[in-house]
Amino acid sequence: MSLLASYPFIKPLVIGLVGAAVLTGLLYLGGMFVVWLERKFTADMQSRFGPNRVGKYGLLQLIADALKLLTKEDIVPRSADQLLYLGAPIVAVSSALLMAAGMPYGYIRLPDWSILGVSLQGTHLLAVSNLDVGLLYVEAVSAVSVVGIFMAGWASPNKYALISAFRNVARMIGYEVPLAMSVVGVAVMAHSLNFVDVVNMQSSLYELFPVHPLLRYIPAWFIILQPIGFVVFGVSMLAELGSKPFDQIEAEEEIVAGWGVEYSGMRWALIYFSEYFHLILGSLFMVLLFFGGWTLPFDYPISLSPLVLLAKVILVIMGVLVVRWSLPRFRIDQVQTLGWKLLLPLSLINLAWAGALGMVL
Amino acid sequence: MAMAGQLEDSEMIVHIGPQHPSLPGPFMLDLKLKGEVVQDAYLNMGYIHKGIEKLLENRTYLQCIPITDRMCYLSSLSNNEVFCSCVERLLGVEPPERAQYIRVLVQELSRIQSHLIGMGEFAEFIGFMSMFMFLVRERESIITLIEMITGARLTHTYGRFGGVRHDLPDGFVDRARKLLPAFEKKMRENVDTLESDEVYLERTEGVGKVSPEVAKQVGVTGPVLRASGIEYDIRRVEPTLVYPDLDFKVITDKRGDVFARVHCRFEEIFESLHIIDQCLDQMPAGEVRAKLPKTIKPEGEAYCRVEDPRGEMAMYVVGDGSPKPYRVKVRDPSYANLQALPPVLRGVYVADVVAIAGSMDTCISGVDR
Repeated sequence: MSLLASYPFIKPLVIGLVGAAVLTGLLYLGGMFVVWLERKFTADMQSRFGPNRVGKYGLLQLIADALKLLTKEDIVPRSADQLLYLGAPIVAVSSALLMAAGMPYGYIRLPDWSILGVSLQGTHLLAVSNLDVGLLYVEAVSAVSVVGIFMAGWASPNKYALISAFRNVARMIGYEVPLAMSVVGVAVMAHSLNFVDVVNMQSSLYELFPVHPLLRYIPAWFIILQPIGFVVFGVSMLAELGSKPFDQIEAEEEIVAGWGVEYSGMRWALIYFSEYFHLILGSLFMVLLFFGGWTLPFDYPISLSPLVLLAKVILVIMGVLVVRWSLPRFRIDQVQTLGWKLLLPLSLINLAWAGALGMVL
Repeated sequence: MAMAGQLEDSEMIVHIGPQHPSLPGPFMLDLKLKGEVVQDAYLNMGYIHKGIEKLLENRTYLQCIPITDRMCYLSSLSNNEVFCSCVERLLGVEPPERAQYIRVLVQELSRIQSHLIGMGEFAEFIGFMSMFMFLVRERESIITLIEMITGARLTHTYGRFGGVRHDLPDGFVDRARKLLPAFEKKMRENVDTLESDEVYLERTEGVGKVSPEVAKQVGVTGPVLRASGIEYDIRRVEPTLVYPDLDFKVITDKRGDVFARVHCRFEEIFESLHIIDQCLDQMPAGEVRAKLPKTIKPEGEAYCRVEDPRGEMAMYVVGDGSPKPYRVKVRDPSYANLQALPPVLRGVYVADVVAIAGSMDTCISGVDR
């Protein structure tokens, strides 16, 4: 105790380090799960087996893949822009970690435990920090991964990677605007940029407006209140994730997988993993904004909220996977047309609608 | 590279091939790009030249048949067919009627499987991986049928001079009658899925148009020509075997774009199923091979054409009375179909290059021989 009293910074440091390790570890576990899920799920859609040799149901496949990637030769082309080339995976992954730091993951109720003499009893929000501008923060840092991919494409001494890098920027500019607009629509309706407020608003709407008891079982989530905003957000999110039909930057058949063509081993895996992190966190973002976060149209023990959130996120991820594996790829000019000529006007309409409704709420 | 000196600052050359994941077989397609728009395309072939014509001239006629299998790995049955009918013409023999029906049957089955893998690959080129899987899965039932007859899945060596290697196996007709309707139903479903997909329509309609004039100038044949509105099918204009007795439509389309080419192939699959039905109904019993001496030594020259899945496949064989052919020359449809690429590719986007190349369904193995 005396040590803690004389060095008060130790406690936050320990908590911070442990928290960061747990969060990063969970994120990697989640990424591995999603890779496995995608492979099994896609295999089901295409009537094949998917991984089924390494471990039960191929569950250890990802570990085998990771071992393989770790043992691959780490190649850095001599004529690559070394700083950008080596920095790209770090930027791409750090964007995902920054996103993860800004989001809440439900509540947890703890018994009378104490760490370093501090009682932990009570209900706690599972979040690194409950930011007042959480929505804007997450939206902003999510765009940083695009910079990482651009760095990779630009620094690689390769024409396919260069084309990929430019496609990446064109796509980012086209979809960042509608995405931000639809997020603002939610914020206007919830009167807040804080995730917890947004989630609470979606569960407390029927308390603001007394309705028939049966109607209370229909959730008042923002997907119902602003369907246009949801469509805009969903399509923009697919585009930001680089998921089909918006995976022009990868396009193995045209530009030989684009940005990643010169990367090997763990560096490649890092950027690729960051895309799966973004799939998870993008889905989480969508659940928090449009599917009521951890709320359900009936009461349940609050300690289960992380699990409820997780279930919703997995459902959204599966929805994304269905889209990803049932559509061909757009051409880059068609992507631009869709973004600027359709989604942008739609997002403006949604903003007007959200503003009008927000005044009533 | 010759044209590198003529590049402007904003232009660059991008190689599509010889090492590229999507183009079928190693050949080089160089694109001069300005941004993402193709300014010019240059074709370069010959990376896998196998010298098959020379190989044929150094073997006895019978030993040649397995070599013809390897000219195009997706249509080895029509390669067998064209070589066998050339030699039959030299010898002046005609296969028995049952053998003719069997040869039509296997050729149509071969056409179906070739179209399926070709269009599956095409679907993959535009990023539709699931459709590739669906089509390849359907292809399995056709391959199974061919395997029942020939015992092989890719290189069949089934044609013989004056007939076929052996008769249909027991139970084949029943198996075919059971498999084919189910296959047709599934294929209808797949085609509807593909052709009702908005993204697919965006990617294919009006893309890579080959006008009838360009098609004739370049000399394309097969579905590529018929998709440009020209009704030209060797099975109709110069029918061999029992094709005159069979009822089938020559599928054409006036649009000439990527969509039309893919659509033509799918419709041809259904037409082939119709032909197979008639073959199964009308096939008489009897011999499957004409009586010929063990070693044949034909003399003279013969030119013969068949409708390969990719177009007009022709062979010119000269015999000098020795057991080996004196000269063999092959005309493969893919070579001409590839020549249509450079004029069509000018002004399209990079993403369309693979879509257009895929819709030509070329087999480089056949081009380089």
